[in-house]
Amino acid sequence: MPRPDKVCLGTIVGVHGVQGAVRIKSFTADPADVAAYGAVSDESGGRRFEVKVLGQARGTVLARLSGVADRNAAEALRGLRLYVPRAALPEANEDEFYHADLIGLPVETKEGAPLGSVRAVLNFGAGDILELRDENGRELLLPFSDAAVPEVDLARGRIVASPPEGLLEQRVPAAAEAGGGAARRRRRKRRAAGGGAGAGGGGTDRGGAGL
Amino acid sequence: MARSVWKGPFVDGYLLKKAERARGSGRNEVIKMWSRRSTILPQFVGLTFGVHNGHKFIPVLVTENMVGHKFGEFAPTRAFHGHSGDKKAVKAKE
Repeated sequence: MPRPDKVCLGTIVGVHGVQGAVRIKSFTADPADVAAYGAVSDESGGRRFEVKVLGQARGTVLARLSGVADRNAAEALRGLRLYVPRAALPEANEDEFYHADLIGLPVETKEGAPLGSVRAVLNFGAGDILELRDENGRELLLPFSDAAVPEVDLARGRIVASPPEGLLEQRVPAAAEAGGGAARRRRRKRRAAGGGAGAGGGGTDRGGAGL
Repeated sequence: MARSVWKGPFVDGYLLKKAERARGSGRNEVIKMWSRRSTILPQFVGLTFGVHNGHKFIPVLVTENMVGHKFGEFAPTRAFHGHSGDKKAVKAKE
């Protein structure tokens, strides 16, 4: 799979003041780095902007874009995604990989059996985890460690994995995942339909448990 | 309020046994567990646990910095997928 030629650094979520400043939801590790890789462009590459960071507020980066001088012009950009060329990002160190490079790569075992492709790179505080999805929609979480992922070959566009014992049996079918979401939606709908009765019922239940 | 020191850290008994068995076998395996409330002990360092988040098992490779925390802290129960941006993944050494 070819490496991505563009990386999305953020999206414009609102405006700030009357002089054309915008609020950017930044997707970079350090939010202010949205301006660190040179001029940004829209998805097609047709419009380019120089970004000047003014500060941060409410989880967003306040910035001024070149050529945007008033609030109306800034309002027109709401929802615009900002991209930089992949080549603008500096080379990663050894054993470091950009998420953008890993996502989409096929993963196979040492014997060549396909495990799926990388859907996302997660980190919950215990190291990076590759989220794989196979053609049957089954999901597998693979620790991104030397033992579990001995080889990442970006040039050939593949990852060789050696999953720990018992991990392949933990694959979650996509149907189960969809079922969970559907059940949640049903519960929410039921609660919304009979809001008062549902809440009252809940209260009675809790009271019963207390007694 | 903090837990009394005289009680020691809480760990479910079955988990200790499983961890001892895994360490004894020396195999590279994921220890499936549901006890999110258990404290991470020094003897768990280097082992990989599959911590259940209500839906699937999140692989947690235990390192020294995680000792004293609870397993549940490393397996969130709510899904969130961010954007990649310029973020980097670092390969963990075991």
